[in-house]
Amino acid sequence: MKIGIYFCNCGSNIADKISAEAVRDTAPSFPDHPYVKTVDFICSEDGKLQFEESLKSEQPDRVVVAACSPRDHEATFRRCLTNAGMNPYLMQMVNIREQIAWVTEDPAVATEKAIRAIRGAVFRVRLQEPLEKKQLEVCPDALVIGAGPAGMKAALSLAEAGRAVVLVERTPFIGGLPVRFEELFPALECAPCMLEPLMGELLHGDNAGKIELMTMAELVEVTGFYGNFIAKIRQKPRHVSLHECIGCGECVEACPAATMNEFNSNASERRAIDFAFAGVLPNAPFLMEEICVRSKGEECRACKDACPMGEDVINLEEVETVVERRVGTIILATGAGLYDASRVAGMGKGTLRDVYDALQFERMLSSTGPTGGEIVTAAGTPPASVAIIHCVGSLDDAHKPYCSGICCQYAFKFNHMITAKLPEASITHYHRELVMPGKDAHTLFSHAVKNKNSFLKRYDDIRDLAVTQDVSGRLLVSVSGEAAPADMVILCPAVVPAEGAGTLSAMLDVSRDSSGFFRELHGRMDASQSTIKGVYLAGSCQEPMDIRTAMLEGMASVGHTLAGLQPGRTIEIEPITAEVDETRCAGCRLCMSVCPYRAISLNTAHNTSSVNSVLCHGCGTCVTACPAGAIKGHHFTNEQIMAEIEGVLK
Amino acid sequence: MTAQQDFEPKIIGFLCNWCSYAGADKAGGMQEPYPPNVQVIRVMCSGRVDPQFVLSALVNGADGVIILACHPGDCHYKEGNCRALQRHGMLNLMLEQLGVEKERCRLDYVSAGEGDKFNRVIAEMVETVRMLGPLLLPSDNCSEDCAAIP
Repeated sequence: MKIGIYFCNCGSNIADKISAEAVRDTAPSFPDHPYVKTVDFICSEDGKLQFEESLKSEQPDRVVVAACSPRDHEATFRRCLTNAGMNPYLMQMVNIREQIAWVTEDPAVATEKAIRAIRGAVFRVRLQEPLEKKQLEVCPDALVIGAGPAGMKAALSLAEAGRAVVLVERTPFIGGLPVRFEELFPALECAPCMLEPLMGELLHGDNAGKIELMTMAELVEVTGFYGNFIAKIRQKPRHVSLHECIGCGECVEACPAATMNEFNSNASERRAIDFAFAGVLPNAPFLMEEICVRSKGEECRACKDACPMGEDVINLEEVETVVERRVGTIILATGAGLYDASRVAGMGKGTLRDVYDALQFERMLSSTGPTGGEIVTAAGTPPASVAIIHCVGSLDDAHKPYCSGICCQYAFKFNHMITAKLPEASITHYHRELVMPGKDAHTLFSHAVKNKNSFLKRYDDIRDLAVTQDVSGRLLVSVSGEAAPADMVILCPAVVPAEGAGTLSAMLDVSRDSSGFFRELHGRMDASQSTIKGVYLAGSCQEPMDIRTAMLEGMASVGHTLAGLQPGRTIEIEPITAEVDETRCAGCRLCMSVCPYRAISLNTAHNTSSVNSVLCHGCGTCVTACPAGAIKGHHFTNEQIMAEIEGVLK
Repeated sequence: MTAQQDFEPKIIGFLCNWCSYAGADKAGGMQEPYPPNVQVIRVMCSGRVDPQFVLSALVNGADGVIILACHPGDCHYKEGNCRALQRHGMLNLMLEQLGVEKERCRLDYVSAGEGDKFNRVIAEMVETVRMLGPLLLPSDNCSEDCAAIP
């Protein structure tokens, strides 16, 4: 085997400390008696040319480059090998600059250390094998789970880029939580008005044809991997055709059955067939089977008879279906909800009248909500005094340790909206920390501070706070024993992941943090990538965030899809991955338990493991874990590493 | 015990590519000399360090081995450094049973930014092994009777 050692002087950086002559004199004693060439700056344009020409004329079988850190130039020199017609993985670099020349005082000692390192590389490179990058056909389309701000933004942007999108939404409507709000912080924009253009584009715009919207649907199974996922989606029956319904509501009038409306925080009634709330999009009602009198065995077709659009719009026989879609990436935008404030002792939630959580109050403020936007107590009168309690369950180790980030801003939005509707009402904010970062957030706070009827009262610990009722039935909010009356109490509970995040996490093997939010691949560098390749995170399923950030995250996840998967283009798979020798595998599954990327699966027919090279990141943890030595870590094999150890110590 | 001043220990350092190897490069960039006794072997992840690599290093003449990993929670591969920690604990037990001082095999954490820590950890390790003296393997110091046992 012919081995070439290329020694870079790096000007005087290396040459001052390490003697190329000594390396040249010692090299013949190494296995296969390598030749040694010295280059002044091998990474320069001249140096690379010289290197490539030498490789072409010498035609070595293996190459050692003794120069700087492989973290700097391994890729550079691999390209040189490719240009010279060699397999790029037949080279080993030795870091004689950063790790020897620059940190060793005595040139004789530095030279000896370098010779050891180069000998190790020669021992190792002899065992290195040619490796090839694999090409894989991929599907460029995406599945988006959740049609709130982040999911809608992602779906529409992907469609604009020409990608087909399957947008799966669990509720019967799009727009997420904010579409149910009247006004938004910081500028008090009308929420439905702000979202309307986006929702309109999504449903009826030029690119709507690219988006397959499935409301009342949920993901039930995912197989495959990045570039080639197969998703099974359960479509629950709406019993109303989205394409044919004109949203006139005649069927609602005719329906004889009623229940409480969960989308109005159960504060108003709805019919069995009804809209989620006024102005909802898609503009079509849905039938709640369990409420419909037909579920009790009665014959009823009142809704069908009332429909002016004919027999086919309402289908009472419609059943659940499961559809299958092939996609390349999955964007999780499943959103957030509120922590159950009744779990925070002393807040009166669930036991006292006129104690509301923020979502209930948002619906009360909304003109499409149960009171048509009127702020009224359960007795039907406007409150003379309102208490807003911040940090209910946030920044609290007994509940949620984190700051929920958005509560202070919407609490001061509430202040502004209450003041506008009830100018004489007194409003007291019971707060712990006040968190309002950014350039706009202070405006609503400043408004509250200037308002003569608004008061701020700080508490140290929510356990010092109690919401009670006096004998007349009036609410009292007391801080460390000092009580003040209130006609209405609004709680700002911690923001928590939406229901179902756990199921999705298990289905996709996407990790969650201790609070249940989806975990990022890296909190700063790859904050919109999940721990599973090809599964991206957008919006408050990842952490509490406002609409602005959720929209940006939606776009970030689109960026990953567009950059990673391109129509007609394959993806390149790095060859430095693990591979199982099935003849030696005993099927113990230890490798599966240590793989951080779910890249290993069990071939049940043979009871052996196999590594999916698309998902494998090449860390080698499974190689080390395998008790049978059945897994090979390409380019970092046991034999190669052991040879390097032997070489440097010889 | 006193340091054996004329003894230069041979030490193998297994460095993970993403944090510790980058930390060593950072130390290089600082150009502050440190003891030259550690020969570095790069692995992609500290979770790749097989206990047999450590044993092989000791059998082949190393007086000590240092494994440097990403800090807990910072592993490029999420949790490879936790595996390294588990294996290191197991190795320590085994080395003690073989009569090898556990200080000869050290696990530590060096991030890509911690050039100064890399420098310090290497210096400490070299000093520790210098104090311990050359590694004598069972075949070096056991009696002829013992060696005769098949």
